[in-house]
Amino acid sequence: MSGSKRISGWFSERLKLEDLPFFKTPDYMYHVNEWLGALVAASFIYTIISGLILLLYYNPEAGYQSTEAIIQQVPYGSVVLYSHLYGAYAMIILAYVHMFRNYFAGAYKRPRELLWILGVLMLVLTLGASFLGYSLIGDALAVSAVDVGAGIITSIPQLSFLIPIIFGNYDTGDYERVLAMHIILVALIGLLFVFHFFLAEQYGMMPSRKVKPKVPAVYTKEEWFRFNPWWPRNFVYMSSLIFITWGFILAVPNALAYLNGLPQFLNPFMNPKPAPPPNSPAAAHITTYPPWFFLFLYKIADFTSDVVVFLLIGVIIPLIYLVLVPFIDRSDELHPLRRKVFTGIGILMMTYLIQTSLWGDLAPGVEVSVKEQVVAYLIPAIIVALGLTFMKPLENQGKVIKGTSPLTSILFVIVAMLFAGAWVELLQYPSAFTFAVTAFFGSLFYLGAKEMSKVVLTSVPNRALPETRQATVSTSNETKKKFAEILMSLLFILVVILVAQMWTIPPTGYASNLFGVDLGLVFLMLGEAISLYHYVVYKKPNEEVE
Amino acid sequence: MPLKFRLGNGEKGVLRTSDLLFIQKMLKTMRNPKTRFDSREFVEKGEDYLFNYVGKNVGGVDEGRRNFLKGIVIGIAAASVVGVVPGLRVLVPPVQQASGFPKSLLTDSSGNPVKASSVPVNSPIIMLFEYPLTGEPNFLINLGDKDNNPVAIAPVEVTVPQAGKSYKFPGGVGPKNSIVAYSAICQHLGCTPPYIHFYPPNYVGPSQLTAPEPDTLTAQALLAAKQANVPALIHCDCHGSTYDPYRGAAVLTGPTVRPLPAVLLEWDNSTDYLYAIGAIGVATYPEGADGTPSQDPNSDLNTSQFGSSVGDKTQLQASTNPFSGS
Repeated sequence: MSGSKRISGWFSERLKLEDLPFFKTPDYMYHVNEWLGALVAASFIYTIISGLILLLYYNPEAGYQSTEAIIQQVPYGSVVLYSHLYGAYAMIILAYVHMFRNYFAGAYKRPRELLWILGVLMLVLTLGASFLGYSLIGDALAVSAVDVGAGIITSIPQLSFLIPIIFGNYDTGDYERVLAMHIILVALIGLLFVFHFFLAEQYGMMPSRKVKPKVPAVYTKEEWFRFNPWWPRNFVYMSSLIFITWGFILAVPNALAYLNGLPQFLNPFMNPKPAPPPNSPAAAHITTYPPWFFLFLYKIADFTSDVVVFLLIGVIIPLIYLVLVPFIDRSDELHPLRRKVFTGIGILMMTYLIQTSLWGDLAPGVEVSVKEQVVAYLIPAIIVALGLTFMKPLENQGKVIKGTSPLTSILFVIVAMLFAGAWVELLQYPSAFTFAVTAFFGSLFYLGAKEMSKVVLTSVPNRALPETRQATVSTSNETKKKFAEILMSLLFILVVILVAQMWTIPPTGYASNLFGVDLGLVFLMLGEAISLYHYVVYKKPNEEVE
Repeated sequence: MPLKFRLGNGEKGVLRTSDLLFIQKMLKTMRNPKTRFDSREFVEKGEDYLFNYVGKNVGGVDEGRRNFLKGIVIGIAAASVVGVVPGLRVLVPPVQQASGFPKSLLTDSSGNPVKASSVPVNSPIIMLFEYPLTGEPNFLINLGDKDNNPVAIAPVEVTVPQAGKSYKFPGGVGPKNSIVAYSAICQHLGCTPPYIHFYPPNYVGPSQLTAPEPDTLTAQALLAAKQANVPALIHCDCHGSTYDPYRGAAVLTGPTVRPLPAVLLEWDNSTDYLYAIGAIGVATYPEGADGTPSQDPNSDLNTSQFGSSVGDKTQLQASTNPFSGS
């Protein structure tokens, strides 16, 4: 016993774990909302590791063949390849969630402007690196995506010098340059990540609005010292998040690999397998589409034939806005309802992004008249504008608002996307049926939004409230902790059974993707067990979401 | 029995049963002289002291319980590592081992079988097929005389100058027995086409002495061709090795010390198709400390990591004309 203590003490002394310049965390911050950046970083790290494994096998002179060889011949090659793809997907989605969460929290404000701008740059690099990675597959979809991308660039003659710089001899089947650019962009993301991370540690996590309702939202040194040190509680909590993220990245695509013959509109999101090669007869029969994270651009291309206008709407204006927003929104208010214009723009950006992406998925390449554009984009704007006008920051009535769990947030996002999709369908094919579907999802969305708005829009008065503890706060969470302990033991048994099964899975062929599913489940359970351990050992009964 | 009090008509709960029991337990511990609650410290440190105290003494997570939980987490982590271990096989490259020579049909680039009678005689275009492994190119040559009439290639004894041994080259195949196939990897230092290629009779002449690379013939090569009375050559531009395509690709001039290995062809006279069925001569890649290749062409089949077996079909590529520049 004391032996293990001595060993861990020896290490923490040598590694100076207590003195690492990592931010100390107040009790109330052990919720996933405050750790979205860690989730992005976890998927980034996963994607790098799997990418390095793929680099051992990928041959840029025979892109499609070596992709196929990785899937068919390399032991567990398809597991690594599919999870590499979905690791990138996860990173993009989580980066968007991270960005919008911080946008609404006002985290771009003083003193975090640089942190925000670095983040926006990293998002652009992530999308670029993902596009290049997608091109490396060399299937009919990748080739057509590169054609479209290169076409957009060449239509502005001043920019066409970029084509050989980015794509090299892609057209002749030599992907050497694209591979190199892919790796270079990822390395750049890594470099910016180091700055982003240490800047974030420097400012500390964004305090709750209850604690610091005004800019600059930073804890003073004195407050800071009373928080939980990085080691061991943050470490434990963070490793649970990392393993859960990795678990999803591994389990989801490998399970999806067993689905066949999806309807076309699900393919961009749910099909991890490559399409046929561009020179095969089968390629003539497939519908080409860009990677899902560029579906919105794909649809905007239907709005206008002028490339400059297209780039302005789809890329340049949103980007410039995001980079400049810390300098435009200069008030020292953090509450979203006290800076309604910016909140409104944020909601609209999110809505338009999802709406246009789904539109591009459901009706790709269908010309859209100006009238339809106005209808599709004006309505959300009017709803948001009206809603925000009449919403006021509520005074705190002392009622305890429960935080939403990540699961309910995801459900809400799915409902929101279904609603948006149904809405687009309704616009395209107005009928009683589409109307009913839209109404159904609309009401679900409304209920969800009502529930979520309590969390998102929880009001905070400007004056700091005197700390009034609720009389009903539980003094003990012993029962829950007992339950957590039993769960942990069950998880242990399950993991052992699964691991034993994993040793019997063949490394190639149809069954090999089961290995990815199982490994994902094992990681999920490991993450869950660590999370339960964190709950039992560190959770204090007076912690709440603030 | 939860603690409640009545207020008007409504009953309002104050404490749940579990909380009540907990408080009883806590008060008992606080009074216990062994674990007395230090109220002075509580005033100083505030609720942090209270929670630490409770965590340590009342239920809470004591040392033994914590270690048990730690054990479970470490156990799950160890099991996960055990689960990752078979996944490490991803680092082992799939080595394709060919146990023997496949019988491979020669096809053109669109997949149709090559007809022996339509292989052009003395073609300046380099015709290559991979055999027995992918990444191992071989020439297919329909040999002719000076006037481009097909020449029957007779079986001949080929000497390996390096080893002093010899083997029997079985001769040409096809309707005129004029089609041969040799490895296209130079036995000197491994140059591949277009540096090494076939020189048809009209390119074996003094004008090639000054032709640009890779079409230059050396004076020695021309002299050797004249002495051996061969109209056409296989010549490598890297270092000037020359082989005699009419006599089993035997060495005409150095620096090579080994003839090119020959691919055994089979001609099906009913369909006019060509098949590659094996190889003869030295192994494609030299092994051993002295660089001497095995006499057995099978020997580097199962150790080669340069490709996988071509299977029952191999494509004939005829895309490069080295002389188009000169």
